[in-house]
Amino acid sequence: MIGLVVIIEIAGRRAALRASDVQSVVELDDVVAVPHAPRFVLGLSALRSNTLTVIDAAAAMGLPPRGVPQRGGRAVIVDRGGHRYALVVDGIDDVADAPGDPAPVPGEAGPGWERISEGLLETDRGPALLIALDVLLAGPPALAA
Amino acid sequence: MDDLLAEFLAETREMMTAIGGELVVWEADPGDRARLDAIFRFVHTVKGNCGFFDFPRLEALSHAAEDALAEVRAGRRSASPRLVTAVLGIVDRIGEMVDAIEAGEPLPERGDDLLVAALEPDSDDAGDVVGEVHSEANGARSPAPGAITQRSIRLATGLLDGVMSGVSDLVLARNDLARRMRDAGVDPAVQGPFERLSAILDQVRESVTRLRMQRIEHLFGALPRLVRDLSAELGKQVMIDLEGGDVELDREMIEIIRDPLTHIIRNAIDHGVESPSARLAAGKREIGTLHIAARQSGNRIVIAISDDGRGIDGARLMEISVAAGALTRAEGDALSEGERQALIFEPGLSTAAQVTAVSGRGVGMDVVRANIERIGGSIEVSSTPGQGTRILLSLPLTLSIIPSLVVGAGNQLFALPRSYVEEIVHGRAGHIEFARAGEAVLVTVRGRRLACLSLGEQLGFADPPKPGVSTLVLVRLAGGDLFALAVDRVFDHEELVIKPLAPAVMATGYYAGSTLLDDGNPVLMLDIAGIARKARLIGEVQARARAADDLVEEQAAAGVPALLFVGLDGGRRAVRLGSVRRIDRIAAAAVDLTADPPHAVIGDTLFPLAGAEGATLRDSEVSVLRLGDGQSEIAFAIDRIVDTIEMSGQIAPARRAGLAEGTVLIDGIPAEVLDIHWLFAAYGEPPRAVEPPTCRLQSGDAWARTILAPLIESAGYRVVDETFQGAADVAIANEAGTPGLAAATVITLCADPGRAEQAPGSLYRYDRAGLFAQLAALRTGRAA
Repeated sequence: MIGLVVIIEIAGRRAALRASDVQSVVELDDVVAVPHAPRFVLGLSALRSNTLTVIDAAAAMGLPPRGVPQRGGRAVIVDRGGHRYALVVDGIDDVADAPGDPAPVPGEAGPGWERISEGLLETDRGPALLIALDVLLAGPPALAA
Repeated sequence: MDDLLAEFLAETREMMTAIGGELVVWEADPGDRARLDAIFRFVHTVKGNCGFFDFPRLEALSHAAEDALAEVRAGRRSASPRLVTAVLGIVDRIGEMVDAIEAGEPLPERGDDLLVAALEPDSDDAGDVVGEVHSEANGARSPAPGAITQRSIRLATGLLDGVMSGVSDLVLARNDLARRMRDAGVDPAVQGPFERLSAILDQVRESVTRLRMQRIEHLFGALPRLVRDLSAELGKQVMIDLEGGDVELDREMIEIIRDPLTHIIRNAIDHGVESPSARLAAGKREIGTLHIAARQSGNRIVIAISDDGRGIDGARLMEISVAAGALTRAEGDALSEGERQALIFEPGLSTAAQVTAVSGRGVGMDVVRANIERIGGSIEVSSTPGQGTRILLSLPLTLSIIPSLVVGAGNQLFALPRSYVEEIVHGRAGHIEFARAGEAVLVTVRGRRLACLSLGEQLGFADPPKPGVSTLVLVRLAGGDLFALAVDRVFDHEELVIKPLAPAVMATGYYAGSTLLDDGNPVLMLDIAGIARKARLIGEVQARARAADDLVEEQAAAGVPALLFVGLDGGRRAVRLGSVRRIDRIAAAAVDLTADPPHAVIGDTLFPLAGAEGATLRDSEVSVLRLGDGQSEIAFAIDRIVDTIEMSGQIAPARRAGLAEGTVLIDGIPAEVLDIHWLFAAYGEPPRAVEPPTCRLQSGDAWARTILAPLIESAGYRVVDETFQGAADVAIANEAGTPGLAAATVITLCADPGRAEQAPGSLYRYDRAGLFAQLAALRTGRAA
């Protein structure tokens, strides 16, 4: 049983993050580029005197990147391994309840999705792929290596 | 020793606190074995420790109590209430003595023997005796009023970490608030208290930083002994040479690297350094050298352990690895020499031809590497067969508030640790010359030819500006290599709280961390060593930094390089660059303006301070130029540096000798040129004669010893007394006579000015000028 999840949209598809992983949803300030960083790292930004690493969720999955958001664009804040990240996604929907456990995806989830998803989750806002945050933040394998 | 003593006192006190409860319970139930054991351990530990420190009374007391308790433990005696009272009396007395030792007071009055006697099974009136002695001791114990003792306590490091990260966050939040207040234009009534808050926070941050830091000396202290014992055991002769003991490291880090470092030293002595005969045969000195140097390099501490032994035989290591099945032959053949040497970090390999008692039992460098990597450090080995091995440990500083330089490249800001920065020069300055060697850019700065990297180019920015119009930051790497980093602009010095970066960013190898500037924007801290490595500079740089003497002459004709700065009084000044040794930022607290001449403490050295007359220090830090004349150095306080320039115009001489030799036009604006000769004449302290003249004073004369002697010493004399065998250059006598004051010249000092005028060769004893003049005349006479 997963409980509450945050429904987001990546590359036009619905996905879910565990609500316990999500710190908040914020409007991003300026993003400072990081030369030589892998493409899914859009840069650094500041949030209440903390540094955020801004991640392009689609690019981290190996899908076409979404690019640096406008100032004021919304992002999902997550904490992992002592670092705070801002996930830039297509849309942030709402919190939903997922009473069940993730189930294997029937058929093929498609490139990118297969790797970063823990399975299909039935939520009260419809089915969504549950995202494995650690895998997502590590970026596409070719670049992470 | 003082540290050890403080540790002993803290430990004793801590144990006393801990057993305080046990004592009470034991008193209620003398048969309780667990309590008895705890108290026994306490007196036993105290006995052991104070034997080491030579506190015979403490030792005798704890010894007596230990004996009595041992009897009880062995069942030869029962814990009667009388015995309990006697032991408690002794424990209390130990507490009093510890207090007294810590306060530096004499130990409490005697009476120990009564306490010890009370332990005897047959002493009938023990209870009374103890009571009596106890109350007397309490009376004697009342501490002297106003005595301040530096107490120490022990804390869990987790708590310290919590406090520290809290303070780091406070600093960031403060910076954020400051920015918002600036933007919003806040009422001055709010500004005042905010600035005060800000200043307090800076102080707190400084103390918190020091909380966890310890000099690496604490680790180095035990090494000479270790090396001596090991080399004796192995029949080798090894000399240890330690450097950088003042580098500060996190206390916990010191504990963590203690074992790995010991292991590396064992290996170096056992496998590295050859036996004396083998060394002689190889044409080396009989005694091997082990050099251990610590250095702070940005947010890393680098410890280099080098020996001049036989080095690592990469080919043999490879053979062993192949034989052990760790590598296939093909893999082994493909490895470079460096990679083969790095095989010493693989598990299960031993280069020792035979296992010795010291090392070579398979538990080896792989464990060392694992321990170092576990704390976020790295270890590297480089070795030249026949000449020696160098192992580099690079360790993180857990707490990272780093003095940094903020520079611009492209449209972005970056920070780099100030500890790397040797000098900042403008590419346009006439004494800088650029040359190209293939794709590499070389720059010649004051006769040194250095590799020049463009930061913009390294970071992959489009169209980086030419080095000629950039500002060059001369960067010195931990290994001593020097190169120039061309940046678009240098902005500011700042103390930055560096936070670790997400792994994906860290993996680029270009950055060491990130921080937020006062304007709230994130900025990346550059990993200078990483950038140099990526540009393949490390190792080669030294070879490129060659002296080009002929260039020095050309440069002289082009004009005199000088540093343009603004003095504390706001005046525009220039100083010839040749006399500037370095530029430092020091805490205002390290400056003493009231002394004559004013002084500044830089590092551990006291420098006379010029340029600060009549000035007040507004900031918590002040910039100083360190000027040198080849023998002595003086510090010159400045407000800020403007630029390095070429002085080509004529210097209009000053009318009077003083701070300025004259005025020169720089970019159409006049600037005073510092008169270095005058400065050193006025502030420089002449080097003391190698063999100072001696002045004999009577050892029995308290006035001469305490009041006169310092004066004589300041005049450059060495003070001796009657026991001095040689011929003293001068003796100073009082009116009472001069028994035993044999000297070339005798000056008599009179307490009465009137009498001094009458007697030839006499001076009034407070006639400072007269005395100085005589002493100076005698000194010059002696020299001539």
